[in-house]
Amino acid sequence: MNKSLQKIYFDPYLFFSLFLLSTLGLFFLFSASNMDTSIVLKQFVYIVAGFILMITISQLDPDIFRRNAVLFLIFSFLLLGITYLFGPEINGAQRWIRVGPFSFQSSEFLKLAVPIFLANFLFDKKLPIQKKEIGISLLVIVCCFLFVFRQPDLGTALIIAFSGLFVLFLSGLSWTFIGGSFVLLVVSSPFIWNIILQPFQRQRIATFFNPESDPFGASWNIIQSKVAIGSGGLLGKGFGEGSQTHLNFLPETETDFIFSVIGEEFGFLGVLLLLSIYLFILLRCLYLALSARDRFCRLVIGGLSLTFAANLIINLCMVVGLLPVVGMPLPFISKGGSSLISLFLAFGIIVSMGTHKKFLPQ
Amino acid sequence: MIFEERQVEKNNFSVRAALLFGLMILGLIAVLVQVFALQVSGYSDYQLAALNNKNYAVPVQSLRGEIYDRNGNVLVKNQPTYDLITRPNLIVDIDSFIEKIKPVISLSEKEISRYKKLQKDKAFANKELVLKKDLSAEEISRFQVRSFNFQNAFIAQRFRRVSDYPNIFSHVLGYTSRIDSDFESMPEIPRSHWKDVELKYAHGLIKGQSGLEEEYEDHLRGRHGQRIFEMNARGQLIQSLSFTQPKKGLDLYTHLDIGAQKSAAKFLGNRKGAVVAIDLESGGINVLYSSPTYSINELSNGMSENNFQTLINNSDKPFFNRAVQGRYPPASTIKPAIGMYGLSNNIVNWDFEIEDPGFFTLPETGRVFRGWRKGGHGKVNMHKAFLVSSNTYFTSLAYQADIIDLSNYLSSFGFGKKVCKDCFAEDPAFVPSPEWKYSIMNKGWVKGDTVNLGIGQGYLVSTPMQLANYAAILATKGQYIQPFLASVDNQKKSLKIWQDEKISNSDWKKMHEALLGVIESDYGTARSIRNLKEFQVAGKSGTAELVSLDSKEAYQDIRTSELLRDHSIIIAFGPMPNPRYAVSVVIENGESGGAVAGPVAIEVLKSLINE
Repeated sequence: MNKSLQKIYFDPYLFFSLFLLSTLGLFFLFSASNMDTSIVLKQFVYIVAGFILMITISQLDPDIFRRNAVLFLIFSFLLLGITYLFGPEINGAQRWIRVGPFSFQSSEFLKLAVPIFLANFLFDKKLPIQKKEIGISLLVIVCCFLFVFRQPDLGTALIIAFSGLFVLFLSGLSWTFIGGSFVLLVVSSPFIWNIILQPFQRQRIATFFNPESDPFGASWNIIQSKVAIGSGGLLGKGFGEGSQTHLNFLPETETDFIFSVIGEEFGFLGVLLLLSIYLFILLRCLYLALSARDRFCRLVIGGLSLTFAANLIINLCMVVGLLPVVGMPLPFISKGGSSLISLFLAFGIIVSMGTHKKFLPQ
Repeated sequence: MIFEERQVEKNNFSVRAALLFGLMILGLIAVLVQVFALQVSGYSDYQLAALNNKNYAVPVQSLRGEIYDRNGNVLVKNQPTYDLITRPNLIVDIDSFIEKIKPVISLSEKEISRYKKLQKDKAFANKELVLKKDLSAEEISRFQVRSFNFQNAFIAQRFRRVSDYPNIFSHVLGYTSRIDSDFESMPEIPRSHWKDVELKYAHGLIKGQSGLEEEYEDHLRGRHGQRIFEMNARGQLIQSLSFTQPKKGLDLYTHLDIGAQKSAAKFLGNRKGAVVAIDLESGGINVLYSSPTYSINELSNGMSENNFQTLINNSDKPFFNRAVQGRYPPASTIKPAIGMYGLSNNIVNWDFEIEDPGFFTLPETGRVFRGWRKGGHGKVNMHKAFLVSSNTYFTSLAYQADIIDLSNYLSSFGFGKKVCKDCFAEDPAFVPSPEWKYSIMNKGWVKGDTVNLGIGQGYLVSTPMQLANYAAILATKGQYIQPFLASVDNQKKSLKIWQDEKISNSDWKKMHEALLGVIESDYGTARSIRNLKEFQVAGKSGTAELVSLDSKEAYQDIRTSELLRDHSIIIAFGPMPNPRYAVSVVIENGESGGAVAGPVAIEVLKSLINE
């Protein structure tokens, strides 16, 4: 008892790299928002709150998360239900819950709840995982995906699905099953295209494969993003000097396309620095996962950090034109409280799982 | 779980985690490679694309060059006027702005409603908008005193294209008219940007439409400048990045002569017709006048639709440039050329005489060609034939001519061709030939047609320009210069030599003597004008028949209709014996050539010679 009071659970590598990343993020956001101090100030408050939350969460023992995993999932579903019933409709989508002056995106919690729930469900199962367990896991994943997808919010739904699948894969899903599902996915893709995807989503995918088909309509965003990044060159145009950013050619500069702002104003060297920080964070998470005290912690760290990575890479690939446009923020940089808080929560859990050691008898 | 199992699980996890993290790292590398492709390999393309996004280039109109006469007097100039220009983006409340400025600048309801309609879009895009054109002096001073109240408006100079002689030079100078864009002159600027051109002329973008304004468009236009604005994605102008001054067009120096042109206009009066005069030494055209005329000032600066329709529908066709487009039978003025054809082909010589009974009968058909004088002129040689304008002499000469040879001979004097180097829309008129008649009328050429040519009637038609050019050939004994209006860049004058080895110097001398006699002798058909001047003039008059009639009595019947009366024509050159100017005058339905067209030719020669 005394010991745990004295000890503060803290990972200096993650702390400093996240500190660097979010500080740079404020700096980038200042330019991306056309020097709007109120936006930057709000983001700053969220970051400070996020760090406090992260440090607080990382003090909790991993067992607390394990014991409350089911509760956590149910709570997240409740929030989704409230959003569905009472959430305001913004731009044709119902994603937000308003509490007094604050509003947050309820689906963010599922990103955490799903991997923790599945890790809890699978950590004590024998290898290889049995069909029944796979079935239940997939059912949870598909339910969560569909709930978020019909808000509609394809980006978050995909991330939630990925977070579940990562845990399932890490916990030892058999290779034959993986191969089989892959074949199934390919076979069912026409069905997905025609029935599940909304017309605007189909349009986005179509323009991705043929951007010149409609340069002023659907492919405007991606063309302007590439022009912004490309015109940044090696060293960039300088802070606040990006013409694509500041003359409104680039859309969504504060959120989805903030990476294009960085590319335009800081060039290839700026991008290289930014990606190095992300890479460092990923490698540190991998280390923590491999050295975690038990299977549950490993699965949670792996699931959460890979979810973070997938989020990052989907955003990057989208803005550089390697993937069709999907609404997804750049972690720790894009404007947005919900996303920041959920990221800091995730890293709080990762630090908690990675730093609490149990000394087992040899 | 037992320990071994846990170890297996851990290894299994490590492999799978490494695999997934490896995939993510590969994803990061793919992004980095793509960013490298965009920023390093594709840099120049994307940099250009970014510049093209934001740089909005608009043309800045250039001023046109001015046009001068041969004495350095300006014929067309750019006259400054003042417009009130506003910056709608700085106007908070449009109605109160209009109320505030109304006492300073008088505004019509039409101007206000036009302004209100346009100002919203201009305000959004940060573009300027003209509120009122052509401010009066009082309006300017009233505004300037109160300009501190109107930070959103300013007065700018805009030009009008005007001539101090808007009516007498209309056809030769031509007019300018408004165009939407001049994109051919600046291919680097997209066509759609021309709607935002920075104007120098109050009337907008203008371009020469006729006359010298059109013919020398490239010379007069100059080079438009350009301003590059920074523009955002919504089409709003943010700031001006660069400005290239437009280059004013070059001035045009013509050989026109204001005094002589004024004489032509004055003495032609309100009759329909044309006058052309050529300086024999330079080949420069001193007078090119067509009547009736119209005001190029009105036309070049925005004429009302009503006035324009009136002009277009006028049955006298004021837009028609009779000097270079009017087709008239040369009538008796063709006789010198026919005489030279006779000399050249040994059909006649200066001593050859015929008996002129007053008519010529075509042997084949018995058709009778009458002269102007009943009873004829008695014994007629070539000298006398010119003086008294004997039709019988020249019809019997033409009777012996070969039509192909004769056609070619007439063409060598410039008939049936464009003769002016830089006249706008010159008509080549027409010299007939047997093939032409066959293809058009499906009838063979008959001797009667050739005989008709001998007296400048029938199918042969010429323009006043061609007649003046022909007069210049006669005056210079063939050493003439192709007529032109303006010289650019010291271009070489094209000396043209009319040559026929069979026409000797003494033939030319006798020809000049005979043509001098037409005006100066007691028997000349144009002797009525000989006392109008102090110098001697040679020439040949003509009366072009519009209706072919066999008797004077019949003509008296049709004379009551003015439009069927004969055209009065004269070609003349002087002062003799060393002529400096050649002139042609055609007066439609003016009847007797010498007495009607003659005085106009003399007055024009007088103002040219006495200058």
